[in-house]
Amino acid sequence: MITLCTTMGDISIELDFDAAPITAQNFLQYARDDFYVGTIFHRVIDGFMVQGGGMDIDMVEKDTRETIINEADNGRENVPGTLAMARTSEPDSASSQFFINVAENGFLNHSSKTPQGWGYAVFGDVVEGMDVVENIKSVTTATEGYHRDVPVEIIEITAIQISEDYDHL
Amino acid sequence: MSLLFISDLHLAPERPQVTEAFYQFIDSHARDARALYILGDLFEVWIGDDDPSDMADEVQRRLAELSASGTQLFIQHGNRDFLLNRQFMRRTGATLLPDRHVVKDHGRRLLLMHGDQLCTDDRDYQRFRRKARNPIYRWVLAHLPLARRQRIATEWRRKSRQENRNKPSAIMDVNQAAVRRVMHDEQATVLIHGHTHRPARHALDDGQKERIVLGDWERLGWCLRSEQQGLELLSFAIATPAAGV
Repeated sequence: MITLCTTMGDISIELDFDAAPITAQNFLQYARDDFYVGTIFHRVIDGFMVQGGGMDIDMVEKDTRETIINEADNGRENVPGTLAMARTSEPDSASSQFFINVAENGFLNHSSKTPQGWGYAVFGDVVEGMDVVENIKSVTTATEGYHRDVPVEIIEITAIQISEDYDHL
Repeated sequence: MSLLFISDLHLAPERPQVTEAFYQFIDSHARDARALYILGDLFEVWIGDDDPSDMADEVQRRLAELSASGTQLFIQHGNRDFLLNRQFMRRTGATLLPDRHVVKDHGRRLLLMHGDQLCTDDRDYQRFRRKARNPIYRWVLAHLPLARRQRIATEWRRKSRQENRNKPSAIMDVNQAAVRRVMHDEQATVLIHGHTHRPARHALDDGQKERIVLGDWERLGWCLRSEQQGLELLSFAIATPAAGV
């Protein structure tokens, strides 16, 4: 289990190494490197998803490792409480930014091996702290520079805890 | 079979993702419905039925396909597309409804309005509305040269974006007395409207009646479905989780 300690409370997640081995390992590595500490939930859309893991509190994008391949064709669906990777319009472009679905987002699921149909790879689940996610999705947002839907009050990840059962992974 | 109600899509060339979501909505939801009602502001601005833009053309083609496939199509004017006229209706197979229209469905009396008429506290807007609804004003506007109307439309859209005119905070909410009066006059059990961009379901008269507000299409799309079992206000995402700047 990995716990994201945020300024609004703790969110604990289990990674799905079976369905999305590369994406899960990628997230675990960012977590081990404390990459996510000091990043924020920078894009919050109620009825859709809350996204973070790439911007610092000044809305500057952090340098990431290489992008990973897209494992959206693993059969897992974008339903409330699942974790998936954000990316650009290029399917294999995810790096550190992730999002938590807060709605049935069927249109994000894999439908075909085309740029339009690749979908967004689900690689984990929120197992504790869904109430925190519910609170995050309801915060007031505004436009900041080129970014829309930015929470007015900063929601920062202040620490990461990785449980011992992930040690061997 | 169900009836679907949508409003405030504010279709504009600058927001292709919303137009695309509308086409998907037609293919996934509307085709199985008995009828689709569009309660105003389908377009961010409509300069007249002779609009030669690709978007105007494609939207009309998709709506024509929908009505040809058996879904009845009904449209009300909004405060931004009040120049939608006979030619548009003929091309799409749609019926233009009056500003107040009652639909009877499964024992309910559904009163349909765009909703701008109910914002009676906004005196400036109501003055503009009276002017815009004046047939002489409309006739003059519709008969300006196309190029002139296109310029007006571009300017209108630019201002609208800059001043965030589509944000709920920029639009006054409905007046409750106006709501009660119109629902009483029309003997409506449910009032369905858009315009205010404040999607919600409001119980009235201890739950005997209801006012349902459709949402504007931006990051989310909105739709109300009426079936025998009841009414359901649905939303679905339009935006995608994009990483990077």
